[in-house]
Formats: sequence, C-alpha cells, structure tokens
Amino acid sequence: MTDKISRRDLLKMIGVSAVAAGVAAAPLVKVFARPAGQDAVTLRFQENADDYAAVVAAFNELFPNVTIEFVNVTGVDHAEIASKILAQLAAGTPVNIGYAATEATQLYAGEGLAMSLTERALADSAEMADYFADVSPTLIEGMMYEGDLYQLPRDFNAAHIYFNKSLLEEAGIEVPGEEWTKDDFLAIAQATTGIGPDSDSFGYGWTNRLWGSWTPWFFVNNTNLLTEERAPGGEAIWSTFYADQPLAEGRGGGWRWPAPQANNPDMVEALEFVVGLTDAGLTPQVEIGGGDRLQGFFVSNKLAMTIAGGFWAGSLNNAGMEPGSFEVQYFPAWKSQRHQFGTGGAWILNGGGGEDAAWEFLKFNSRVETMLMIPWMANASTTPVRRSMNTAEYWGQTGMENWHVFYDALDQRPDTAPIPAPVFSIEMTNIYTRFTSLATSGEMTPQAALDGMQAELEALYARN
Amino acid sequence: MVSKTATQPPQRNIIRRWLAADTLSGIKRQRAILGYLFLLPTIIGLVVFIVGPMIGSLALSLYKWNVFRPPEFIGLDNFERLFSDARILVGYRNTAILVVMTVSLLEVLAFTLAMLVHKISNRFLSTFFRTAYFLPVLLSGAATAVTLGYLFHYDFGVINYYLGMIGIEKIKWLISSDVVLIAIALTTVWRNLGFTFIIYLGGIASLPTEVLEAAEVDGARGLQRITRIILPLLSPTILFASVTDIIKMLQFFDEPFIMTRGGPGDSSRTVVMMMYESGFGNLEFGYASAIALSLFIVILGVTGVQFYLSKRWVFYR
Repeated sequence: MTDKISRRDLLKMIGVSAVAAGVAAAPLVKVFARPAGQDAVTLRFQENADDYAAVVAAFNELFPNVTIEFVNVTGVDHAEIASKILAQLAAGTPVNIGYAATEATQLYAGEGLAMSLTERALADSAEMADYFADVSPTLIEGMMYEGDLYQLPRDFNAAHIYFNKSLLEEAGIEVPGEEWTKDDFLAIAQATTGIGPDSDSFGYGWTNRLWGSWTPWFFVNNTNLLTEERAPGGEAIWSTFYADQPLAEGRGGGWRWPAPQANNPDMVEALEFVVGLTDAGLTPQVEIGGGDRLQGFFVSNKLAMTIAGGFWAGSLNNAGMEPGSFEVQYFPAWKSQRHQFGTGGAWILNGGGGEDAAWEFLKFNSRVETMLMIPWMANASTTPVRRSMNTAEYWGQTGMENWHVFYDALDQRPDTAPIPAPVFSIEMTNIYTRFTSLATSGEMTPQAALDGMQAELEALYARN
Repeated sequence: MVSKTATQPPQRNIIRRWLAADTLSGIKRQRAILGYLFLLPTIIGLVVFIVGPMIGSLALSLYKWNVFRPPEFIGLDNFERLFSDARILVGYRNTAILVVMTVSLLEVLAFTLAMLVHKISNRFLSTFFRTAYFLPVLLSGAATAVTLGYLFHYDFGVINYYLGMIGIEKIKWLISSDVVLIAIALTTVWRNLGFTFIIYLGGIASLPTEVLEAAEVDGARGLQRITRIILPLLSPTILFASVTDIIKMLQFFDEPFIMTRGGPGDSSRTVVMMMYESGFGNLEFGYASAIALSLFIVILGVTGVQFYLSKRWVFYR
C-alpha cells in the first residue's frame, strides 16, 4: 500500500468535508437568517457619510437588510450638483436615492430619472399624514411635476435679507420691520457703506446665480424670468393630505414655465436697480459663485446686508459670528413682496431596483427625530420643511429674533413661489448668469443684456 | 502503448511545432511572442482607456443623446452646428490667447529660473529653491483657483490693495473682459511653473560641459553664450517642454471654471468648458463629443506643426 493520495481521492475528501461542514452549520444559518421577505438590498445614496451616519445606523436597526452606500456630491450650486449626478448616470453608476433642489426637480422628473412618489404616498397615507400636515403645501407643490409628486421636501430656503447688526448700530439704524420697502433698503445700504473697522464696508452684496442673486428683486417687482402657470393634477395629494388647509386651495400639479420673458420692462427695471447699486458703490463687484466670499465679508464686518435663507444662520455661527450679532427680515416690498424659494428633498431612481427599500428610507428621513440626527440640520444651517421644527428653541441658537420670517414666508405670504426651474434649468441658469454678468460688469446695459438673454432663452425653448 | 502526442489533434501539433521549432526563425518567433506578451498589458490599457473612448466619442458625435433617452443617429448635424456656433469660436479664441500667454510666460520664466538655480552652488539654497518652485505643482487646481480668486477680488483682494498703495487704480481682474484672461493666465503660470522649471533644470544640468568650456575659452559670454550656445543645445528640452505645455494649456479648464465660470459673459470661457457645459449641463453629449473631436484635431494639428517646424531649430546631439 502506498501513502500517496491520488488527485481524485483528494477531490472526494474535499467534497465530503464540504457537505459535512454544511450540515453542521445548518443551525447557525437559521440564527443569521434574515426575516422572511427581506432580501438584501444595497442602495447608493447621494449624501455625506459623516452627516448621515446616525440616520443610516438608526434606519438599519429597523431594516438590517438594507445597505446604504454614500455617494458624496458637492458643487457651488444645485445646478452643478445636478451636472455631476448626470455624469454618474452617463457613466452607468447612478445613485438609487438622490437629493435634488428645485433647480433639478423637473429635470429628473421630466426626463424619467426620478420615480413618482404619488401612489406610494397615498398608499401610506396614514403613516405620512403627520409629515404632510407639518409641511407647507407651497413646498409640496414645488416638488410636483405634471400632476405627480417626485420628492419629499427636507429643507427649503426663501430669500430674505440678513443684517450685520454691528454695521447697522454704527450707522445708527434699527433692523427694519416686516413691511419695509425698496426705498428703506436703499437708505440702509447708503448709510452702511464706507463704515466698519476699515471704513470700507458695502451696504449690500449678492452673488450671481439663480437662487438669491437678483432673482428676488424681480420677484418683488412682480415679474419673473419665465411666465408661470400651474400644471393640472395633484388633486389626490391635496384632497388626502390638505383637505382643510386654506393655503392648499388653488394648488395644481406643479409649476410650469411656458415661455421666457427676460426683457419685459419690469425685469429690466429690476436689473437696472441692482446694477445701479454697484455703480453707486453700494455693492461690491458681483461674481458668479456660491456665496462663500460674501459670507467672509459679512463675518468680517465688510458687508451690512445680503440675501440668504435660513441656511446662513448656522453657517454664520460656525464662521465665528456671535449669536445675536446678525438679524433677518423679509425681502423688502417693491411692487409686491412676493418671495422666491428653493426647496430640496430626496428622490428615488426610476427602475434602479430596491425602490421599496428606498421608499422606506425616504419615509424614515421625513420624521422630525431623523432630521435632527443630521448635524447641520440640528444646528440651524438650513430651514427645515417641518413647521414644528421651526421653533424659538431651534433658531434660538443663532440669536435671531425674527427667525419666524423663514417659515412665515410660506404661511403668511401665500404668493411665495419657487425659482423658475423647468426641465432644461441647467442650461437656462447658464444663460441667466452669463448675461447677468455682462450687465453687472458694465459691459452691456441691463436692457441689452436682457435682450440677449431673451434671445438665447427663446432659442433654448425652441430646441426643447 | 499509444503515445500521448498521437492522441492530440493534428492542428495543435502543427502550432506547437511552429512555435517550438529549434530553428533560427522559430527562436525569432518565440522572442516576438514573448515581446508581445510583455506589451499586452500596455496595449490593453491603451485600447480600453484611450483608443476605445476615442472611437466611442467619434461615434457619439454622430448621435443626439441626453443620457435619459436612447441615442438618435443624426449624421453630421453636430458638426454642422459646431461650424456655425459663434460661441465655439469665442471659446477657441479665448483658449488660443490663454495658450500664447501661459506657454510663453512659462517657457521664459522656467528657463530663467532654471539658469539662476543651476548657478547656485550652495546645496541647501539650491534644494530650497527647487522645492519652492515645484511646490505649487502639488496643489490642486481647484484650491489654487479659489485662493487666487480671493487675491484677485476687485474690492477686497490683496493684489488691488497693494496696487492702491503704490498709486495704481484698482483693476477689475475677474470681472472685466479686458483683463480676465491675464488674471487666469497668471494663476495658471504660478501653478504650473514648477513642472516646466524642473524640465529645464534637468536639461541645463545635462548640457555637455566640454562644449560650454570651449565656448568660454572662445570668448562667448553673457547673452551671447545663452543665445548661441545654451539655447541651441537646449533645443530638444525646449521642444519637449513647449509641446507638453501647449497640449496641457489647450485643455484649459480648472482656473476659468472656478475663478470666473467663464465670465463675464463668455470672455474667459474655454473650449473644454464649453464641451463640459454642453455635455453635463445641457445634456448634449453628441454635440460635446463633436467639440471634443474638434479639439483633438486642433491639438494634433498644433503638435504636428510644432514637430515639423522643430526640424529647423531643434539640434540633437
């Protein structure tokens, strides 16, 4: 007899051992088995891992079968973030759950990237009633497209005016009241220019982009870059969740912007006004960007007023401003006091798989306690869509007294509307900022810049 | 007993014999195959990451595709649009101006600094200057552009502050179409100078000392020594540095994208920015591919001309 084992014998032994190990491990398999009907699901989620670690951990306690992979996407504005999301889609690696602001809501919905949430919201109406009751219908309508709901809003920002109280005090001016006007604004801007520690402050600053920018000025001048109308539909959402709310009356199935009107007289008047502020030396030179530089100037007492939403409050605190050293107020009235806003929320990839798990995650994220797990939401670095979160305690950490204007821009100003953002909003924003920059740099008159803008917007509409 | 070879298919035997033939041509074949095997990873990489995408881009330029819907074949429509698009011409004009400004500044400054640093005999100082000039290359383009964007700010920028101190009026660096390209070119030169500097430093260090000494004995001094001796000897280095710099600068993106977003208007928008915006902003991937192809042809043409002209001025030892 030989000690050698043939290859065939070795394979037999391995096979027998494997079967034996499998039988022995059977009880263990039972212990580690998932609950029936819960297949393992992996979802690519467009968020920052640090910000959402606690949320995902809490979600996994309820749904251990769902693995969330983070895909962090950053950009100077929401249009740039949308560009990057589309780049991932083109590369064949889209996210399953994205976060989109108003700038991209209709783009994702209109092109079929985002899944309609209407049926799921209605099917879970009992579970979702608390959320909808706590969220302004203005925000919900902003997340609708052609009759369907595509996102659950998480946070929003209407355009308000922030005041550097140190510069206002130096100029001997009080923070204005709610009904202040464009003329009051101009007087404050003049009084707060050329003061401060180095006598080089500016009364007002803004940055060239779609949200904020000079957009709020044409809103209060009672016009818009594009004509507006409401899409039909959405009745199921309004009748199910907002049956008794006066603010929901007359709502439709989302906004439509059927035609450009960039060079109408009110638009020209609004642009002439903001360009005039630069010409008068009340505003620093306007640059395209996300507003980081303005924040630096504001914090270092070189800027008295700027446009921002709730997101600025926490950021100013983080940047070193003492609570109570800045204040906020509604945007000043001109021909109206109509505010513009942008809102953002999660969307689910259409046909990407794991939609049921993704919907569970969205619902989980819509809870107040979940929202407070996100560090920057807890420290007042945005305006939560849930009315009940907008409290004196929440905003108290910023030291602002007029914090209520953030949500009151929706509740007390029913004509507040989203920034214009049709399906081709990224290209539209590019045209908007390009011609705005030609006017603010003095290379074109506001009229000529808006004529050029109108011509390109008309060509854009013709192509789409 | 039946031999093992007798059971194998005859065809396989022929190949094996052809490969293993103990003849001169057989050995050559074996070496060639071995050579190709070593080249295979590179060839695969080239095909997958360069040739494949290029062919893909060429094909895509014949389609209308927005990612969401299936591509639609439109023939040469994207190229027709390209030739009639006035903004593309502006993009090429801006790119050309930036290339001329940055490459000429880079070559002159890098050569001058390399000559000066080469003369430093103190080892510590020499290392210090080499490191100092090369450090900006290691910085990200985005970080550099953001920081220099602050420095160039019209109202609060440090540059205008110091210009004001010496009685010069503030310059609208980033908001005037007259000077915006200068600001961007200066930023780019600052960041890229170290790379070109190192190339020149290497070139100067490897110049033949016997030729330089002979020239010195013959009385060549100062500018004459540089223009008549050093520059001709350095011509292969100048060719290499200028070709790589021009190719790099024709693909200008980071600085104008971050500092000005192409503004004011289109006055600092480059071709690559337009390609990016067409693809990922306007979702016109076919048109973006057509722009990419046009840029590829331009780069190929410019490089070809450089090599053609180099026959007249590049001196190979």
